[in-house]
Amino acid sequence: MIAHRIIPFFLLKGKRLTKGTQFRDFVDVGDPISQAMIYDAQGADEIAIVDIEASKENRIIDTKIITQIITKCRLPIAAGGGIKTIRDARKCFEAGADKIVVNTYAVLDPSLVKKLADEFGSQSVTVSIDVKKSAKGNYEVYIFSGTQKVKEDHEVLIKKFIEYGAGELVVTAIDREGVLSGFDYDLYKSIRPLVKIPLIASGGAGCYDDIVRLLNETGCDACALGKMLFLRDYDMVRIKSYLKGKKVLVREA
Amino acid sequence: MKIGVLDYGLSNVGSIYSAFDFYNYDVSLVSQPEKLKEADLIVLGGVGNFKTATSRLKELRLWEALNEEVIIKKKRILGICLGMQLFADVSYEDGETKGLGWIKGKVVKIEGDSVRVPHMGWNEIKPVRDALLKGIHHNFFYFMHSYHFIPENKDIVLATTNCGELHIASAIMQDNILGVQFHPEKSQGDGLRFLRNFVEVLS
Repeated sequence: MIAHRIIPFFLLKGKRLTKGTQFRDFVDVGDPISQAMIYDAQGADEIAIVDIEASKENRIIDTKIITQIITKCRLPIAAGGGIKTIRDARKCFEAGADKIVVNTYAVLDPSLVKKLADEFGSQSVTVSIDVKKSAKGNYEVYIFSGTQKVKEDHEVLIKKFIEYGAGELVVTAIDREGVLSGFDYDLYKSIRPLVKIPLIASGGAGCYDDIVRLLNETGCDACALGKMLFLRDYDMVRIKSYLKGKKVLVREA
Repeated sequence: MKIGVLDYGLSNVGSIYSAFDFYNYDVSLVSQPEKLKEADLIVLGGVGNFKTATSRLKELRLWEALNEEVIIKKKRILGICLGMQLFADVSYEDGETKGLGWIKGKVVKIEGDSVRVPHMGWNEIKPVRDALLKGIHHNFFYFMHSYHFIPENKDIVLATTNCGELHIASAIMQDNILGVQFHPEKSQGDGLRFLRNFVEVLS
């Protein structure tokens, strides 16, 4: 059976890694290439790397960073930041990305997902969406790294992404991001029946049991880790060993 | 031993190249038929659409060259993911497209009630010929695909992988032709050792 994936989620600002809390208060967390080498050596299942300023600055992720990572590392790389055309995506693939990650421009125009899936195949197109729980308790979708709210309902958008050929879906709970208090389990339980493609949870992982609970209770295929890895005393080897002890199917490296 | 990695515009050749380069093999990227003649071992990767892949290979005159080197001269070839699927007679991805026709069989969409498509992530291959798994600790490799190869002759299947209720062919070998559905170049240490075995143990 396929193993659950544990994915370090790298946020880039230009050439450096950064990490915030609820998409604010960012601190520098190092060099992307050396960090990628560390997690590759520890047996991470994949690395997702997204430049969170690219869309706002009307550019794409620095593709040289992708090339440097794939030259040094032997694990799949999903890369994104500012991708809004086939040409942008092609640059990332040519640099060595295995998958591209689209967010803002897919929300603004879901047909981008169809164009990319037709050109590169669904398996190479990861769609990422950022949601925040409102005071009323419903979820609202944000773009441009949590700075702009859109009207569309997240479930409606997700269904469109699936229909247009998204290969996997990353859902980030903005209010959990960097808080280390656990995932938004209800959010993923509500999304899971909508999607047959792999579902990746992001935002909130703070300890081993958060990951166990997510993978046992929500049906998510994978989880993204951020602050827990970058700014707390955890590593991939210990995380996987703990999960294995709890009978969660993970790959040993 | 010269390793030629086909570069025809849509495979992730950088990762394949750097994986062979890790062992300091004499590896080069090949996009011209003349260069293919110089290779002793051929690697055909590929990510994306079957139809696009066949037309790119034909545009670059690599289609005929591959037949010459692999079928006539019997050079050893490794097909990875779409590269392995191209060995089939036919693929039903995006219509119906003829493949290289080296291995009897067809490429169809992964479908099943309990199957999540794309089949994406690390999955186990079993069983497999010992020679190819020399030095490998766990049989988990990285998969990333929505279509799979169903060969007619089950005897050429080296390994299968559970994908929901399906058992897909994850490695096949027929004479000098080896194909894997997973990505050894993306499968960390065990993937590297698999590639090393392709070069050193099988020879």
